[in-house]
Amino acid sequence: MNKLHINPGYCKGCLICVENCAPKAIKAADKINSRGYNLPIEDDMKRCSGCKLCEIVCPDFAITIEIDETNNKKK
Amino acid sequence: MTHPQEKHFLKPGVHYLQGSQACAEGAIMAGCRVYAGYPITPASEIMEHAALRFPKVGGRFIQMEDEISSASVLLGASWAGAKAMTATSSPGFSLMQEVISFAIMTETPLVIVDVQRPGPGQGYITTSQEDVMQARWGHHGEGSIIALSPSSVQEMFEFTIEAFNLAEHWRSPVLLMAEETVAHMRERVRVPSQRQIKIINRKKPQDLGITPEQYLPYGHDTIPPMANWGEGYNVNHVSLVHYADGKITQYNPEMHFENVRRVQQKIENNISKIARLEAKFIEGCRHLVICYGSVSRTAIEAVIEAREEYGIDIGYLKLITLWPFPEEQLRKVVKKVDTIFVPEMNLGMMKHPITEALRDRCKKIIAIPSLGNLHAPEDILDSICKELK
Amino acid sequence: MLKYLKERGPSGARLPLILCPGCGAGQVLNYTLHAVDKIIHEDGIRKEDLAFISGVGCSARLTSHYLNFDSAWTLHGRALAIATGALLANPELKVIVFTGDGDVAAIGGNHFIHACRRNINVTILCVNNGLYGMTGGQVAPTTPAGIETTTTPYGNVEAEFDLCKLAQTAGATYIARWTTAHPRQTIKSITKAIRKKGAAFVEILSQCPVHNKTSPVEMLHNLKKNTVSIKKTKQSEKGKIRIGEFCDITRPEWTAKYQHIIDQYSR
Repeated sequence: MNKLHINPGYCKGCLICVENCAPKAIKAADKINSRGYNLPIEDDMKRCSGCKLCEIVCPDFAITIEIDETNNKKK
Repeated sequence: MTHPQEKHFLKPGVHYLQGSQACAEGAIMAGCRVYAGYPITPASEIMEHAALRFPKVGGRFIQMEDEISSASVLLGASWAGAKAMTATSSPGFSLMQEVISFAIMTETPLVIVDVQRPGPGQGYITTSQEDVMQARWGHHGEGSIIALSPSSVQEMFEFTIEAFNLAEHWRSPVLLMAEETVAHMRERVRVPSQRQIKIINRKKPQDLGITPEQYLPYGHDTIPPMANWGEGYNVNHVSLVHYADGKITQYNPEMHFENVRRVQQKIENNISKIARLEAKFIEGCRHLVICYGSVSRTAIEAVIEAREEYGIDIGYLKLITLWPFPEEQLRKVVKKVDTIFVPEMNLGMMKHPITEALRDRCKKIIAIPSLGNLHAPEDILDSICKELK
Repeated sequence: MLKYLKERGPSGARLPLILCPGCGAGQVLNYTLHAVDKIIHEDGIRKEDLAFISGVGCSARLTSHYLNFDSAWTLHGRALAIATGALLANPELKVIVFTGDGDVAAIGGNHFIHACRRNINVTILCVNNGLYGMTGGQVAPTTPAGIETTTTPYGNVEAEFDLCKLAQTAGATYIARWTTAHPRQTIKSITKAIRKKGAAFVEILSQCPVHNKTSPVEMLHNLKKNTVSIKKTKQSEKGKIRIGEFCDITRPEWTAKYQHIIDQYSR
């Protein structure tokens, strides 16, 4: 299963990544963090296709998706 | 920089040139290979000569859409490794002040020639020395600058080369404060061979064994070594107050003071190494003429006549460097005189730092102003005689 | 793409970017680095062959101290003149200019039209957020009529520029307009623009959530809704901004033309 990594020092909680995730694998956290942002968290990473659009649209280079090679889903 | 097109350089020997031509040729000899300009009387001839000559020596010339972009071209060219120059006149010089301020802060070597004409406004298209204060104080903010004042076609040639050497050594913009007289006059110029000319190039981190990982674009030394674009040093040029590594966030007053003070002191603490003056008949003289630029050509005639025909014990001092102002050097040379005369093609500008420097060394300082016209020797001599006889 | 940024230096951390949460300029930087990465890998361009220049404004902050490339954060509106200088010194440099709508069309307007006219080999990436962001949200030459800004508190009485039409008239040889809500198309256009030998202009309509007092997600939604691809329709659709590639032609580039002069007269 692919993994979501958020750099909490860079993420400003704009949630553009969540909006752009077509399979809805990630969602916004309910609680705000110490900087006042709702960070993206994993919702159901089985849905993650590894398209990495979230990485492309992030204004702060705060998100990376770690691709699980062992369980490579072929579309 | 190498000079592959040496066959197109001026041949060593004596040439009969206009000051404008001599300036452009000096730039070529200094290794300048980028020229950007905009037409303005009385500076256009420098640009026209550059347009003709630069491609012959492998350089690039461009006429830009205004003076601001002409000066801006020099920034990019310098960062990409070239020596670059523009020439303008007083109204264009006003337009370039923001770029000059920026060049001071980013410590970018470049040369700007101001062929001064009267102002304010469009003023007139003859000669003047009315920008000499603007040269030092026209750019916004602190910092210092180097400005030279040529008085002959030979000096248009030589001081342009010196301007580039100073720019490269001190990592600073350098101004050549010419005047319409000296740009338009024609005189003989002795041109040495390329090998005889001393050329200074910017000190680079590669020369000091500093790797890209270690490199601090504004650090390592009072005059930071300068890497060019394209050499793998990932140089970020920035004019907001910055740390030595170029970081601009986490502002604090100490970082601000350190940054701007170093940039200013880089020049102001080294005036004796930068500024030059020329003195004649100065040993024990009773009175003194202090002058610069083309006025020094007629002032020396007045001084000689005052001494030989009128028996006035008067000396002559020519400022080669206007800025940084050579206060200490002046005080070393001028111990005690009665009257100092300062002929200028303005209503009294360099008279101010001269007064500040020598007020306690003399009894009186008298300005001899002229606007739009070069003083004839008689004009200066009449003022001297009127005062002293 | 973090390998292309200076995350920290001897005087400390430089990231996160100084931009507001959800700022479109940050996205444009991301898209640009994706394009640059592609070009480095596919075209054999070295990292040191690239140089980034910006003027002043939010878009300009991208080069302020973040890039792990040769770069310069310069004067308001003058980036294109400075880029011209860099190319005169070294025509092999691939110069990319980040600019904003105020920077390129107001104070920099003159240099913009001449850079396009000269077809100097520069890539102009314009982050167009329709106002002056850094200084607090004033009206810009790209602000539509009627909009209230801090300097048009009663509504803007002026009409706005179409920057792509301006670039076209001035003579740019690659012209495209996308939005931050069109990442893949933007990356593709930026890639083409950098590869173009000539003046290439890519306008990216971009959200400023703070001055528009609207969430980034909602603004991106509107950008998608209020634009229409020129492939879909040749006519202007009422109220919608046309996006796509407007121009991709070949014209002699400035340094290439001047090189002929050097070659001929330096013999």
